[in-house]
Amino acid sequence: MTLPSAHPYAFLALFALVAIAFPLLLLAVAQLWFRFFQPPKPSATKNDVYECGVAPTGDSWIQFKAHYYLYAILFLIFDVEVLFLLPFAVTFTTLPAGALVAMLVFILLLAEGLVWAWHRGHLEWK
Amino acid sequence: MSPDYTGLFQALRPETSLLFGALVALGLDLSLFRRHTSGERLNLALWIGALAVLAAGAHVWFGPHGPIFGGVLILDPLAVATRLGVLALTLLTLGVATAARTPRNPAEYVAIILFATTGFMLMAAAQQLLLAFLALELASLSLYVLAGFDKTRPESAEAALKYFLFGGMAAAFLLFGFSLIYGLTGSIELLEIARQLTLQGLSPLLVVALVMVLVAFGFKAAAAPFHLWAPDVYEGAPTPSAAFIASASKLAGFTLFARLLWPGLRAAAGNVSTLHGAPGWLPAVAVISAVSLLLGNFAALAQTNVRRLLAYSAIAHAGALLLGVIAAGRSGPAPFFFYAATYGLATVGAFGVLAVVERTGSCQKITDLAGLHRRSPLLAGCLAIFMLSLAGIPPLAGFFGKFTVFAAALQLGGLAGPAGWLAFLAIALSALALYYYLIVLKQALVAPPTANASRIVVPTLARFTLMAAAGLIVLFGVAPSLLLDLF
Repeated sequence: MTLPSAHPYAFLALFALVAIAFPLLLLAVAQLWFRFFQPPKPSATKNDVYECGVAPTGDSWIQFKAHYYLYAILFLIFDVEVLFLLPFAVTFTTLPAGALVAMLVFILLLAEGLVWAWHRGHLEWK
Repeated sequence: MSPDYTGLFQALRPETSLLFGALVALGLDLSLFRRHTSGERLNLALWIGALAVLAAGAHVWFGPHGPIFGGVLILDPLAVATRLGVLALTLLTLGVATAARTPRNPAEYVAIILFATTGFMLMAAAQQLLLAFLALELASLSLYVLAGFDKTRPESAEAALKYFLFGGMAAAFLLFGFSLIYGLTGSIELLEIARQLTLQGLSPLLVVALVMVLVAFGFKAAAAPFHLWAPDVYEGAPTPSAAFIASASKLAGFTLFARLLWPGLRAAAGNVSTLHGAPGWLPAVAVISAVSLLLGNFAALAQTNVRRLLAYSAIAHAGALLLGVIAAGRSGPAPFFFYAATYGLATVGAFGVLAVVERTGSCQKITDLAGLHRRSPLLAGCLAIFMLSLAGIPPLAGFFGKFTVFAAALQLGGLAGPAGWLAFLAIALSALALYYYLIVLKQALVAPPTANASRIVVPTLARFTLMAAAGLIVLFGVAPSLLLDLF
């Protein structure tokens, strides 16, 4: 069956409707399940810290060192660099010399960033 | 056709100079000047930055013109004028930074100012959606960092976070709008988009794209109702950063905006010159302009904090600049460029005065300026020139800026359509604006100094910067053709 007279943007309205209805439906089912099949019975074991099957040691509320975000940023920069280098390398033989210069400038800028972070001592684990 | 890399590198010499300057400043700071005091390191970085800006200016002046790299960049008179204007405002910002409190990492501060300038330079010349977005983001990311540079002060951190969240939202809107435009036209080149849109006309999807782009630019330009970040950022950011955000970024942003709307989306412009106009982005820009003019001017009346007052006045000026963008379709970019450039000069100057006054204590309230004419006649005189230029008093440059923009808007169709009424509204609100600028000047020029106020010593470089800004304002007010002849 086709809908020849439907407005070209009608599917957007339908999409929005389904997008709103679907999660509401799931939430309603979950609520009903909870109400009829899963009465709350807390116990010491149930309230334990989840640890992949082994017996938990200590509290789950521990402090993580946030310092690693700098490593993450530096890794991300060079990760993205690879993304740019790969298509460049694939078509390398057909590119003029200017493209090589442009890419070298790009890599030098990233390298300068790494040198900067190194000199400022951001790579030392404190 | 193989891409013309030689032409690209030649055209990007100004940007290369700026980046080189930034990297040299960082490198010297890390190696030879490691053990020096932060004041000395700031001076070194500022001098390197100033040299890089001057070199970039020479490259812009003597550099190539016309489309570059197959039309990705366009170096037309508007691009060249905006690039020179941005460089001049950057130089003045560096001058303001000599007077302000030394930041914690001086070389990084200067380097990030130069990175932002690079972004502005590319924004001024971008003629392709992708490059426009990248340039805008390079500038914006640098500005977020500059706003939060004084991160140990809660106000500065708050300013940076608010600016970042609003700016990130705006970037998302802009990218969404751009992607819809790309989907409609199959191209990211502005000229090709313009050609495609003439064939297609105004489709519902294009309206959605236009709304997204206008919302994003409204955020970036601090036009009402997307202005909420501006007062907090102007108040909390370090003074040179605030000066930079208020001046150079406005100029580059409006150039990009006008280039995107007029050559790129001209087919979807609509009409606001006559009573029964046509739909398009012009009516939307006219509404944003009217709301900005009204909200900016009326909210500024209630301010007791001089920086928040400058922020609300910036919103009002954004409204007037949008009127200039509306008129650019008929009169060309010269009126709004003149307005934006001279507005930037006056704003940098005003923040420069605040930075110098801040050396002797806090300078947030308008009453902190009390008795400035006794404490430093030079500062009071310069502040008077900047404020009167912002208010649009002849013979200062602000008057001629307002005059050209309003005249261009009235030429669109006289008082027969919304554009003319908008110009009329802007003229009426200029009279209102004079009141709040005079409130500031009354404190500075008439009120007696407080009991414990001391004389303010103006550092040599800061004095030179302020006098240069004031001199340029008087010069462009007396001889506006100096700027207008660039077109």
